[in-house]
Amino acid sequence: MSEQESKDIDLLPELTKNSLSTAKNDLEKTSSGEEQENAVSTEAKEQETEAESSETLLLLDNYLPISLERQAQQLWLTLPPQEEVNDLDWQQVWLQLKYKINASKQELFPAESVYLQAQDRLLDIRQLQAISESLAELDLNLTSVATKRRQTAVAAATVGYAVQQQVSITPAASQAANVAKEDTSLQPPLYLQTTIRSGVEVRHSGTVIVLGDLNPGGTIIAAKDIFIWGRLRGVAHAGSSGDRQARIMALEMQPGIQLRIADVVATVPSPTSVVHHQPEIVYLTAQGIGIAKAIDFAKNHRFVEAKGHWIEIVNLFNQR
Amino acid sequence: MSRIIVVTSGKGGVGKTTVTANLGSAIAAMGRSVALVDADFGLRNLDLLLGLENRIVYTAIDVIAGDCRLEQALVRDKRQKHLSLLPAAQNRNKEAVTPAQMEQIISKLSPNYDYIFVDCPAGIELGFRNAIAAVDEAIIVTTPEVAAVRDADRVIGLLEAEGIQNIRLIVNRLRAEMIELNKMMGVEDVLELLGIPLLGIVPDDERVIVATNRGEPLILSQETSLPAMAFSNIARRLEGEKVPLLDLMAAQNNIINRIRRWFNS
Repeated sequence: MSEQESKDIDLLPELTKNSLSTAKNDLEKTSSGEEQENAVSTEAKEQETEAESSETLLLLDNYLPISLERQAQQLWLTLPPQEEVNDLDWQQVWLQLKYKINASKQELFPAESVYLQAQDRLLDIRQLQAISESLAELDLNLTSVATKRRQTAVAAATVGYAVQQQVSITPAASQAANVAKEDTSLQPPLYLQTTIRSGVEVRHSGTVIVLGDLNPGGTIIAAKDIFIWGRLRGVAHAGSSGDRQARIMALEMQPGIQLRIADVVATVPSPTSVVHHQPEIVYLTAQGIGIAKAIDFAKNHRFVEAKGHWIEIVNLFNQR
Repeated sequence: MSRIIVVTSGKGGVGKTTVTANLGSAIAAMGRSVALVDADFGLRNLDLLLGLENRIVYTAIDVIAGDCRLEQALVRDKRQKHLSLLPAAQNRNKEAVTPAQMEQIISKLSPNYDYIFVDCPAGIELGFRNAIAAVDEAIIVTTPEVAAVRDADRVIGLLEAEGIQNIRLIVNRLRAEMIELNKMMGVEDVLELLGIPLLGIVPDDERVIVATNRGEPLILSQETSLPAMAFSNIARRLEGEKVPLLDLMAAQNNIINRIRRWFNS
């Protein structure tokens, strides 16, 4: 393990496909404390493949999610702007919205009124009513609509909401929201009490905590950590905007799944022996993505800012 | 008011229509009035399975267009007086109907029946959205295969997003001997992944195919078969009875398999 620390990270390619050691189960059988952390083997791929994968990862980050935030007694519901999500049609927006409301009930309640930030998204009366009905199912009341589009403003006024039509320069309130989006660390953790099923994609510029499973075909992309209180079987991408300190933790990780931290990709190897059921944590080491028992991680590991990865603190007592 | 239940799966060919036909017949046999709605416009099959193809005069499209009354389009099964079918149009595609029109038809049917089963087309596009427009319960049909289970998971997510809470699972085409040899996903694996309550397990049986081709639901045939028993048990569970699962492994518990197991362990 000490070899691992002394290695210079400059030697490492920026984007490497790593595979976590298959020897981990064998290691754990030995009782010595210094072998608590699992070894990591790195297979650096050719330059072309690296460039390809880094591009796809970047594409994923150019995305503004639909957001529902709590501010005092009000909830702010912000829809993604029209031009940034061309391929995202109303059906998808609608599904994401319902999903989000259903999954984060605890966080959002109690709240009296909902303030819709429609930005430049075109909404007709039917769509506004659909939003309002869905909110009503959850005892939420849509009261005001802020929009940059005249048609949306007209539609909202027709139905009887308080309308705030924004000119090209956004008012202070939404400006604050924009600032919060740029500074990713300012977003509070997103707590979801649901199973993330196939086809569902959760994006959040902060930490994501899931009480449930991440099923195959499901995706979580978080700017910071991902904690899954359940089984991890889908795609998890922590530190999506480049945070190398981000970690992924799950009660159980299925072999073969893909894990991403910042710009590094790895797959969990198929176990050579019996699958052990204990919480594991995945983080960046000098060699790429490493895996360790979650229970000891906090005391045994330290993030080195200068090197941009985690190191294991060698316990002298265990080295005797 | 009736219970409106959609039978869906995401993936095609897992047995949605077979389940709809047999489950509908099983519940009708219990004396409940049942309407089966074929929502698979353009690729209708439900009428074939029920042997009602030649009795179709009008379809759901004609009702929507106002060419006939709803009662005229409904085909009553002569063998089972409690069972009716609302056929889909074969000469149109799924875009011919909107979710609002579907909702309208089903709300018209609703006062006259105890159960309405909607046979959903494969996929998650407009046909699926039409089928789930008016339902308040869902039955997911899956086979113990990775692809079918993955699609079922996606569909469950969509149903949950639509606010349909009562979602139950039928594992269809289970082959006990393949699970025994570890060649197929077990029911536990499927349940563990999908995380929804199990409504029943239907074993794979060639008699299902024979019955399908003959246009006579297995439930109606004279000889008792394991799948028919499975369907009547599912019907009873839908009615709220507590019925234990069939022991599908019983047939596998012969001496050769025991020896094989003993060697494997």
